[in-house]
Amino acid sequence: MNKKITPILLLLIVFVSVTLAYVYFNQPATDEQKYDSSAKDVSDEDLSDEIDDIFLDEDDEIEIGEMV
Amino acid sequence: MLKVIENMRKIAAILVVLLLMVSIPSLVLADDAEEDQDEQDFDEQSQEQENETQDLEYNETEKEIEIMNNSLGAEIRLLQLEKSILKNILKGEMAVEVLKGLEFNTTALEAILGEMKILLEEVKTANTSSNDSVMIFVELKQEAINYTKQFREKIRELLDDVKLNEIRERIRELASGELHNYSKMIQNRIRQFNRNQLYRLYGIIGETNNSFINEYFNGNITLGQVKLQMCKMINQMSKENRYGVFSEIKEENIKSKIQAKSAVENIHNTGNGKGNGGHN
Repeated sequence: MNKKITPILLLLIVFVSVTLAYVYFNQPATDEQKYDSSAKDVSDEDLSDEIDDIFLDEDDEIEIGEMV
Repeated sequence: MLKVIENMRKIAAILVVLLLMVSIPSLVLADDAEEDQDEQDFDEQSQEQENETQDLEYNETEKEIEIMNNSLGAEIRLLQLEKSILKNILKGEMAVEVLKGLEFNTTALEAILGEMKILLEEVKTANTSSNDSVMIFVELKQEAINYTKQFREKIRELLDDVKLNEIRERIRELASGELHNYSKMIQNRIRQFNRNQLYRLYGIIGETNNSFINEYFNGNITLGQVKLQMCKMINQMSKENRYGVFSEIKEENIKSKIQAKSAVENIHNTGNGKGNGGHN
């Protein structure tokens, strides 16, 4: 009897631990975690581009073409 | 037997004539079709080129009117347009003087310059605080582009490439006190505009540095240094705050772009800003 129960118990333990491990590693991110991960996406270049767009270059000109 | 052979020859000759009669017109038609195709290809190419130039102009205009949602932005754009028109009038006048020296008839060119001077006065008197300032700017800019194009085409009819290059060289180094005054005035307005933008940016960040803003306005710090300093300041924030500031800046920039795009589309859909340089 014991010889039969032991492998079944072992299998059960393995099955439960695999299920728990799967659930742990695949749980959906909370709002805070999502915020954190998107915050990482702001690169220096993106930030610099947006700041560039705010200001106007002092030598900016309106192009209407050349006369000759 | 001989008659049969003769009849066959006649039939063969008639067949040859018939064949020729059928093939010659078809060859002519094919040639015409080829010419038509070439012409069509050329027209399509020119149209495509014109469309590309127009698209570029629309994109530039869109970018220019992004700042025109307040009277200072509108004033800057109209001043810049005034300066560009004045610069072209001065260059045009120099070119006309050269042509007169070479004893060319310059009546048509002078007429275009006359129209440009009237346009310059219109730009000077345009109301920057009006709700229609964007539409006025787009229309006046389009007229300036059209007159410039007319002048360029007219002078190309008169001179060959060598002479045109000579004139280009002569008018390249154009020095004018009036133009210099415009540059100073525009620089001052742009600094005012950028100072306002700095206050807005500090508002998003949540702190203000008045002495830094004044240093920029007085010309002790360049715009490049200002941008660098602001980037550094935001980079020193926590990830969350940095992202929050970035998102808010981006949102504002996108709003301005959408407004400008829809304004340009409205103007072009209603058929304005496409005039041929004629005055009302």
